[in-house]
Amino acid sequence: MRAHVMRLCAAPLAVAMLGAPCAALAAWTKTYVVEWNEPAMYYGAKTGVTDPGTDCPAGTNPEPDWIQVLMKAGYTEEEAKWLRNPANPTRSPVHGQNQMAFRGKNRANVYVNPESTPDPGLVGVTGTIGEGINLDGDESTGFTSPDGEKGIDNMFYKTLGCWKTYRGPRRLSSGALQFNDAMRNGSWTTVVVVSGKGDDPMNDDDVLVGFYVSDDKLVKDGNGNIAWDYTFSIKPSRRYEAIFPARSRNGVITSTKPVDGSLREPAYLRDLQLTKAQVKLTMHPDGTLTGYVGGYRPWEPVYWGWVNARGPVIEVLTWVELPAVWYALKRNADYSPDGPYGKKTHISYALWLSAIPAYVMTPDASEEVTSVVSYKDLAPSEDTRVAFEAISSRIRVVDGIVIDPNAKWQAGPNAVILPPKNATGAAQ
Amino acid sequence: MKLRFTRRSMLKGMLGGASVYVGLPVLDAFLNGNGTAFADGAKIPVRFGTYFWGLGLTDTPAGGTRWVPSKIGPGYEIMPELEAIAPFKDKVSVFSGFRVIGDGRPNLVHWSGHAGILTGVAPAAATKFDGPSFDTKVADAIGIGTRFKTIDIDASVSRQPVSYSTRTGTTFASPDASPLALYTRLFGPGFQDPNSDDWKPDPSIMLRQSVLSAVTEQRHALMKGLSHADRLKLDQYFSAVRDMENQLAVQLQKPEKREACVIPQPPKDAPPGASVDVVNENTRVMARLLAMALACNQSRVFTFVHTAGTSETYMPGSSKIYHQITHDEPTDAQLGYQPETSKLASEVMKGFGAFLAELDAIKEGDGTLLDNTLVMAFSDTGYAKIHSIDNIPMFLCGRAGGRHKAGQHIAGKGDAVTRVSLTAMQIVGAPVGEFGAGSMKTSNPINEVMA
Repeated sequence: MRAHVMRLCAAPLAVAMLGAPCAALAAWTKTYVVEWNEPAMYYGAKTGVTDPGTDCPAGTNPEPDWIQVLMKAGYTEEEAKWLRNPANPTRSPVHGQNQMAFRGKNRANVYVNPESTPDPGLVGVTGTIGEGINLDGDESTGFTSPDGEKGIDNMFYKTLGCWKTYRGPRRLSSGALQFNDAMRNGSWTTVVVVSGKGDDPMNDDDVLVGFYVSDDKLVKDGNGNIAWDYTFSIKPSRRYEAIFPARSRNGVITSTKPVDGSLREPAYLRDLQLTKAQVKLTMHPDGTLTGYVGGYRPWEPVYWGWVNARGPVIEVLTWVELPAVWYALKRNADYSPDGPYGKKTHISYALWLSAIPAYVMTPDASEEVTSVVSYKDLAPSEDTRVAFEAISSRIRVVDGIVIDPNAKWQAGPNAVILPPKNATGAAQ
Repeated sequence: MKLRFTRRSMLKGMLGGASVYVGLPVLDAFLNGNGTAFADGAKIPVRFGTYFWGLGLTDTPAGGTRWVPSKIGPGYEIMPELEAIAPFKDKVSVFSGFRVIGDGRPNLVHWSGHAGILTGVAPAAATKFDGPSFDTKVADAIGIGTRFKTIDIDASVSRQPVSYSTRTGTTFASPDASPLALYTRLFGPGFQDPNSDDWKPDPSIMLRQSVLSAVTEQRHALMKGLSHADRLKLDQYFSAVRDMENQLAVQLQKPEKREACVIPQPPKDAPPGASVDVVNENTRVMARLLAMALACNQSRVFTFVHTAGTSETYMPGSSKIYHQITHDEPTDAQLGYQPETSKLASEVMKGFGAFLAELDAIKEGDGTLLDNTLVMAFSDTGYAKIHSIDNIPMFLCGRAGGRHKAGQHIAGKGDAVTRVSLTAMQIVGAPVGEFGAGSMKTSNPINEVMA
């Protein structure tokens, strides 16, 4: 186990000249790298990954009957079956059936215009137990945590917690597996720096928690676990940085003041932009750090994250109608930056994370960090538009579908959908 | 009396003002008493090939598996998804726990896995490799002296022909993608029956050969004045020219007789559609043609694709393709794995079983063609649901003329896949001491399976 880093920032001027701001003196500093993170989604079943449970009494939302979905959208049964037939050359084995997008009124693209179709409905969580943070301080609203804390605000979970992508025991939902596998294979790295001014890290009234990204990649050990005590240099970023004032009690770190910040999220939408964000993290005796980062996030970019990941693929693979996701997020949004009567553009959310000890260095890698400070001023200017996970460098997703400009047949509102007379393949 | 010539001697002559070199036929004096090996001790040639299928085999995130035997070493147990190779168990080594290490490069789904296995480095971009696939190194080492340096086959019935064999990383081989195309290539015009007593060199081939040879100096001169990129392009082009020359040269030699060589009848092409039964039948038919081509010494190296990384195959009558099912099917709580995915994986492995059966059906010397062959079979993913590049299933099949101590299960415990690739190369005699780059660079083959 790695020993605590406990040192004073003795030469702030010299360090600043090397590109590492050092505004605050810290008596102790602990540094970590995130080895797993996923949306905080309490799984209420005893076994399996889709079983009925207290969270979702009917189990994970079932797979839609896509033939029926298309027929409801106005396609004939023959057309619907042909569109779903694996032998149909217009159905890409990689990018799906583009015509799936055109099932709105007058065959509008439902991905970019979800209101062109009635709400297909998405069954949300009906259980009372949830994970996360009491963001508004009101114990009369929200979930009760598994260990009894009331007022947990996580409408994101209530909205999407029965969707197959998110549902499952910790580390086993398909979404968590997919994106953490990418992170653990080097797609991105998040480091955490915790520092305090008191004598006892476990009980300190003046703690700062900083989240940063690093260009140094995670390293796996022989068992496929992320190796402890590797070294990571902070990459200054205007996009991904969050610093939380906090206190610690018996090793549990809780925010003392909500802040705005942004983290790299394990999702197709890379940006976890949080407002009124807080942390609830536990420093364990074995040296690890686990817990939550919560706050209110804009809900529409979440929806666009899924659309840009190729609507037909996401719908079929994750068993959801994307317009239903749009309606559900809109319906359950619970926060407006403009005040209680403003438009609810944000939804409460929590990210669960597990971090292991690591050496975290200043951006120039000259020395270990000794305090929690902002490195944004050292970051180059960058595109601040919302970032989505790239499906591939060669693929351009337009309005939720991948268009092959050289294909003879193109999907669209006026596409002719006729199976050739000698078509073979699936009967259903 | 000692002969002045050896089996490697060449006769030199002139044709139309150009030199013509003609290899000596395999005289009885060059062979041992029963014809199973050359008299100087050289063995029947070892053949090498790769066999690829898409979407891996079934793992579970909780650690369960449908294919990794629990027993390490010889005598491994047949797991459910290995049933199809059970008849050849003593000729197949199973490699589990090996992984592609990206060194910071992202996992390019359905691409990084086999690219890493074939080139030794995780690629920077999808659709390209960062170097040549290692089968080309093997072909350069053992593929000379046959009509085809390599035979590339795609049985997948995909919309586009699939091959992962490349010399440049950017241009991939053009495989024969139907049984009839493969038959025409192997046994159509230009094929010489090695067992025919009525053999004569074809004057038209001699002329074409000499024409190609005549441009050698010019192309060397041309290469001198070009940029690096253009030289690479031309090298790829001339590589094909050299292959052509080699093929023609081989056709000017009277081939040695091959007892196992029987010219097959032209096959019928498969019905349209890529359902797994069609792909497997295609695999069986094309494997039979390949086996006969190897037996007839048309080639010693091949690449074979059963299904692409993004496999298009499906169960007959289903509206879901296999690829989709691997992603969307939840793990069954009672079974502990994805049942439909596992069922399809088993179906796909039946294709592999049929492939091995065709190679094992050809008697050669005191064994079978499979005994004189090494097939390295592998996929693109481990746990396909999340495109994992850990625990990618890999197999070495065939005894490689006794050089492969087959029938073992080797657990990699997180080692790089390149160790298996290097092992395969060294078993078949490619002069390769190390393979791969970065964290996947290795000079450490798996000695347990090397005789």
